[in-house]
Amino acid sequence: MANNEYIHSQEAAIQNLVGQFLKVRSGRRSNRTDAGPHLDQDSLAAFTEGVLSEREAKPIVSHLVDCSFCLHVTAELVRLDMAFAETPAAVTVAETAEPRKVSEVLSGLISRIFGTTDGAVFAHEEKNKDDENKVENTDSEDPKEK
Amino acid sequence: MPTEAKTSTDLSPENHEMIDLIYARCHENAPNFGVGPDTFKDSLAKTIFKYLGQDGSPDSGDVDSLLSQIQADDLFMAMACANGNERAWWEFDHQHRGYLERVARHLAKTEVDAQEVIDQVYVELYGTKIVDGERVSKFSTYSGRGSLRGWLRTVIWHSLVDLHRASHDEVSLDEMTENVGEGMAHASFAEASLGGEDEMIDHLTRERYRKATVSALEAAFASLEDHEKLLLMFYHVENLKLREIARLVENESSPLRGWFQRKSQTRNDNPAGRIHESTIMRWLEKSYARVLQLFRSELSEKGGLGHDEIDICLGLATEDLAGNNFFKNLSTS
Repeated sequence: MANNEYIHSQEAAIQNLVGQFLKVRSGRRSNRTDAGPHLDQDSLAAFTEGVLSEREAKPIVSHLVDCSFCLHVTAELVRLDMAFAETPAAVTVAETAEPRKVSEVLSGLISRIFGTTDGAVFAHEEKNKDDENKVENTDSEDPKEK
Repeated sequence: MPTEAKTSTDLSPENHEMIDLIYARCHENAPNFGVGPDTFKDSLAKTIFKYLGQDGSPDSGDVDSLLSQIQADDLFMAMACANGNERAWWEFDHQHRGYLERVARHLAKTEVDAQEVIDQVYVELYGTKIVDGERVSKFSTYSGRGSLRGWLRTVIWHSLVDLHRASHDEVSLDEMTENVGEGMAHASFAEASLGGEDEMIDHLTRERYRKATVSALEAAFASLEDHEKLLLMFYHVENLKLREIARLVENESSPLRGWFQRKSQTRNDNPAGRIHESTIMRWLEKSYARVLQLFRSELSEKGGLGHDEIDICLGLATEDLAGNNFFKNLSTS
């Protein structure tokens, strides 16, 4: 019985010690550059989704333990993923609205950003008539969004 | 993760065959996206060598496994959008705009910020920079390894951080992270005033134990495997909740899950079983036990301390923790 208490007190002590140690260590290492370049968004996203194999994930995990910046970004992305996993998708007006053509979307954006609607910036291929008809007849509303 | 530039010509005939099948399926699903088979093959080769080319050439089995998991339709759409294909953009806008808006609104403080981020992301996705006479679309950085939505979440998150940094130019994300840590690291140490020879000896002894403890803890942590370190850091540094960590390893082929359950009977019995918060707690407990074991052997073997002295080290460290002063001698290695 006394031995159990001893073990528990040791475990509790090491937990606190590890927690404090890691917080301080993280602060001191935040500007280190020897962890190499930060992870790109594609790698961060794939790792957060847990789809990488052990071989693919090994260098990423190795980077994360040395780079507090990427560690923080990954944790934030895990939270974000969790938030959207728990929240049922609400139907918004935008989602039920007819999608816009890219030229319309981008012209609107450019006009807001630069005060111009210079259509020459975007050279898009025209849809043929068959495509237009096909699109109109396609019920492509994503059921996940409902 | 820089990798040597490789092309589809470096892949085996079996891999080529599989890519051809994937292409045929994608093309059947979206015949008007205007993505050619060679471009598609080169893009997949880039993905393969990015993720599997770290230790030389990937073997054919690894490539097969990656190809079987590739989000091919998402990649096909992203490639078409990068090329400015009108139909692909229409599909993208229809399928993902609502999701983009929800993520942006979830993250942004105001509707104005959310809208600004969405606009910015669309501009980046289309690409307004011209390099070597070609427009560079953000879509060209999507590899298809994860889902397009997961990638879009990441893009929005970064875009929002950039927006925040631009509007608070005194604070960068790096600096915010650093300041939290430095505050901890520089916490003042209220040293008790010393008087008399006995107290001086007592102080010197305590200092010796403290240094030995910190150094043993550093060595113990350094001896852990990377996945154990990462788990402890997610929990203690980033304050991720157990259920959030469980979410990260939810996928049955998750590498973290694989490493922690390597010798586990549970994995053999039920490899696809759900990971509960209690499982994560058990993994944490195992990691603490490993640290304790390494810590004790470090103090005993390298520090030459006896059993009772090791207990004193732990006791002193526990007493000191309240003052945040314990790790003032922590190295940054």
